[in-house]
Amino acid sequence: MTDHLSSELLIDYLRRELPPQDDALVHVHLDTCTACRREYEVEASLTEALRAAAAREEVEFPSLVAARVWEEIRNAKPSPLARIAALWRPLVALPVAAALVFAVFLVGPMSHSGPKIAASYYLEEHAAQQAQNPLTERGPAASHFIETSALDSDTSTELADEADYGVAATGVIDAVR
Amino acid sequence: MGAPRTRIEPPTPEQAAFLERAMTQYGKATYNFAYRLTGNESDARDLAQDAFIRVYKAWRSFQPGTSFLSWIYRIVTNLYRDELRRRKGRFQEEIPEDNAPQEFGGQRPLAVTPIEDYVERQLSEPLSLALAQLSSEQRQVVLLADIEEYSYQEIAEIMGCSIGTVRSRLHRARALLRRLVERAQKES
Repeated sequence: MTDHLSSELLIDYLRRELPPQDDALVHVHLDTCTACRREYEVEASLTEALRAAAAREEVEFPSLVAARVWEEIRNAKPSPLARIAALWRPLVALPVAAALVFAVFLVGPMSHSGPKIAASYYLEEHAAQQAQNPLTERGPAASHFIETSALDSDTSTELADEADYGVAATGVIDAVR
Repeated sequence: MGAPRTRIEPPTPEQAAFLERAMTQYGKATYNFAYRLTGNESDARDLAQDAFIRVYKAWRSFQPGTSFLSWIYRIVTNLYRDELRRRKGRFQEEIPEDNAPQEFGGQRPLAVTPIEDYVERQLSEPLSLALAQLSSEQRQVVLLADIEEYSYQEIAEIMGCSIGTVRSRLHRARALLRRLVERAQKES
């Protein structure tokens, strides 16, 4: 750096883009060289002029642009791929829904979906078994089961009124049949 | 800007919110950048519109924590370049890029370019007209370097070129601007 600095170097210095060592050398040179100092000030002034002019000419974002962007999006039509996907959805969803309904239909009766039906069914079956097996314990227990089932079924209520061991058991079997 | 558009999908709520925020916060900067690039309002509006549509489509590719402005400037720069290619011309008359820059190595003239006077007197020639006389690449680099104050590295990333190219374009552009200012000074 025995001669004057190039404008390129001054611009890089102005923009703080020089490596530290070069930056320091330019800094020292500008302290001693009036011509380069003047040239540097011209470059700095150009930058200032550009920024000042840009600030003066700055304009607001036109609302029209935002409106046009939203309009374009609003009027957007799905791509062919998206349309195929939309068509594919019911094609897949319908069979899946049908399979689910069928599965519920099959599994439903096996689950304890309703205590009313299940209780009366098991109770009646139990009573029938009791009737067929004379060695089984009889008495208040059987009566109790029938009374319990009366909470769930009108038919069972009628049977409970008739509860008298074998008579009641016969009635239950009839009712089941 | 008349460029062929790719299809747009209807928005998700997140996507719509992202776009709304982008336009609210960065619409002004984006539009001004586009205006300085194109030199006229009509093209600037189209360019800004296309840029935000691109933002809308590619919103998931934006990485949180990075500069949104750098991202959208890159989008604007690419769209502008594509549009120039599509038009196979320029938005305005420009002086070819091979204008020799002023060299001040060795016996440099003690040039006293009255930039300060230019600023103080606010010559009638607005910045957009002065910039219009640069090549599109020179104009982009001046806008990004001197007005938006990006580093060479950032400009290289935005423009998709090397740092060396950024430097040489900026040096040439500034040399040309200085000559334009001198000419304007003499004519006034």
